[in-house]
Amino acid sequence: MADAQIRFRIKRQDKPDAAPYWDDFVMPYAPGHNVVSALMYLREHPVNARGRGVEPVVWESNCMEEVCGACAMIVNGTPRQACAALIDQLTQPITLEPLSKFPVVRDLLVERERMFAALKQVKAWVPLDGSQDIHEGAPRISPVDQSLRYLFSRCMTCGCCMEVCPQFHEDSRFIGPAPLGQVALHNQHPTSTYFRSERLQALMEPGGIADCGNAQNCVKVCPKDIPLTQAIGELGRQTTVQWLKDLFVR
Amino acid sequence: MAEAVAGPLDQHHFAIRRLHSLMGIVPIGAFLFNHLLTNSTAFLGEKNFDDHVLWIHHMPWLLAIEVCFIFVPIAFHAVYGVVIALQARSNVSRYGYGDNWRYMLQRVTAWITLVFIVVHLVHFRFAHWFGAESYAAAHPYFLAFTQQGFTMWLPMSAWMVIYVIGLAAAVFHLCNGLVTFCITWGVVIGDDSRKRLSLAAAALGLLLMAWGLISLYALGTMEARGPGGAEPAHVAQHEHLS
Ligand code: HEM
Ligand code: SF4
Ligand code: SF4
Ligand code: FES
Repeated sequence: MADAQIRFRIKRQDKPDAAPYWDDFVMPYAPGHNVVSALMYLREHPVNARGRGVEPVVWESNCMEEVCGACAMIVNGTPRQACAALIDQLTQPITLEPLSKFPVVRDLLVERERMFAALKQVKAWVPLDGSQDIHEGAPRISPVDQSLRYLFSRCMTCGCCMEVCPQFHEDSRFIGPAPLGQVALHNQHPTSTYFRSERLQALMEPGGIADCGNAQNCVKVCPKDIPLTQAIGELGRQTTVQWLKDLFVR
Repeated sequence: MAEAVAGPLDQHHFAIRRLHSLMGIVPIGAFLFNHLLTNSTAFLGEKNFDDHVLWIHHMPWLLAIEVCFIFVPIAFHAVYGVVIALQARSNVSRYGYGDNWRYMLQRVTAWITLVFIVVHLVHFRFAHWFGAESYAAAHPYFLAFTQQGFTMWLPMSAWMVIYVIGLAAAVFHLCNGLVTFCITWGVVIGDDSRKRLSLAAAALGLLLMAWGLISLYALGTMEARGPGGAEPAHVAQHEHLS
């Protein structure tokens, strides 16, 4: 395997408003590489396939174990975590593209602010109004509920689900699937149910759950296997009930 | 101007979406079912069809029912449906999952159904605005009249192609819409229940399709006798009453 190579086709962009272009790279094969470790090699040897010295490719990564969400990009046409994309399992040349639904900062680095804004909009957190004990005894959760909630709690805001959602794009106000999963999680949590109605009402605004088109792409690409369509169904039911309550009770 | 339009639409966004979804099932879906029922009586014979249509034409409040439960809901569902369809950025070429295809087809069949409904209305309901005879003038030989319609302006084979496409589009749109309706409203939640529902909807779709096709088959093959033939049984009776 001494002369074996790893070949990349990388979609690059020098600055936010610049035109994107493709750059090819070739590096020597070494066993055990993943896309991020290969990008690290290219950063040390920033020479493209035509032998020209170029600016090193910019990307984002932290944990290297598929939990932080930072390294999401489109690898061979599918959005996924680059750190978990093993070179030995990919067909070459390996194409890398930045997520297309978020503004590109540079090369493979995108600005995912819209997702965080959506999480704020739907109050996807556990409210705390002080350090006093607000429960008589700790709330009990059955192991069955706990294991479902655990699934949702693993969301790392990577944006893969947003990338494949046909309803989430520049010209739509849809908040996208990931925040929906977080509302489903927080609406189940005993210490987090105080905001339940407020979260649902936020979801009933333009861009909320009604803008989901049920394409069900999101659930198929989530690297953490989060049951997003189940969240959407559950929230469909909760918002239906909330809507009727607001209509007839308020 | 745009602001004034956006205001109430935004304010009632959720309610309008839910209303759009509901309209797809009742009254529009229910109407489609009833319409296929009416048409399929052609398969049972000329008399059955003529009697049934006659019964509809004698329904009290017919125009009001037509306007309130058919025209207005379809117009609302279609206009707002176009708004929704324009927001989609379909990506089946990249992500060819079955569900994604159905999402895309829901929108494609929406456009086809929209065009088909307009063609169908011009063809029969408002044909008299375009120089043809009014459906009411056919009284009481409706099947013979309908059959004539299938050779008016275009050859029958062309009409048949148009109607089969329109039928398939409307049936797919309704049955797939039944599934998404159940997700939207939270009737089904889990993956397994969604799969069962999808199977049931597919079965319903095949059934409705077959039902529609035998109506078209009857229309295309039978020899309606019209005014020359025997009178529909109820004609004389109705004539006495009116
Ligand atoms: C006339 C042209 C029509 C257009 C432009 C249209 C458009 C649409 C669109 C874009 C959707 C997707 C809505 C969403 O996912 O949020 C939809 C859903 C639906 N449509 Fe239509 N439609 C039309 C006619 C019809 C007809 C004739 C029927 C009945 C046979 C029908 C029944 C439904 C149903 C049941 C749904 C599902 C609602 C849901 O997902 O909650 N539509 N329509
Ligand atoms: S739901 Fe899954 S795909 Fe979406 S942001 Fe969270 S971890 Fe990523
Ligand atoms: S199910 Fe909804 S949120 Fe998920 S990909 Fe489809 S439209 Fe987007
Ligand atoms: S570096 Fe954290 S998910 Fe890849």
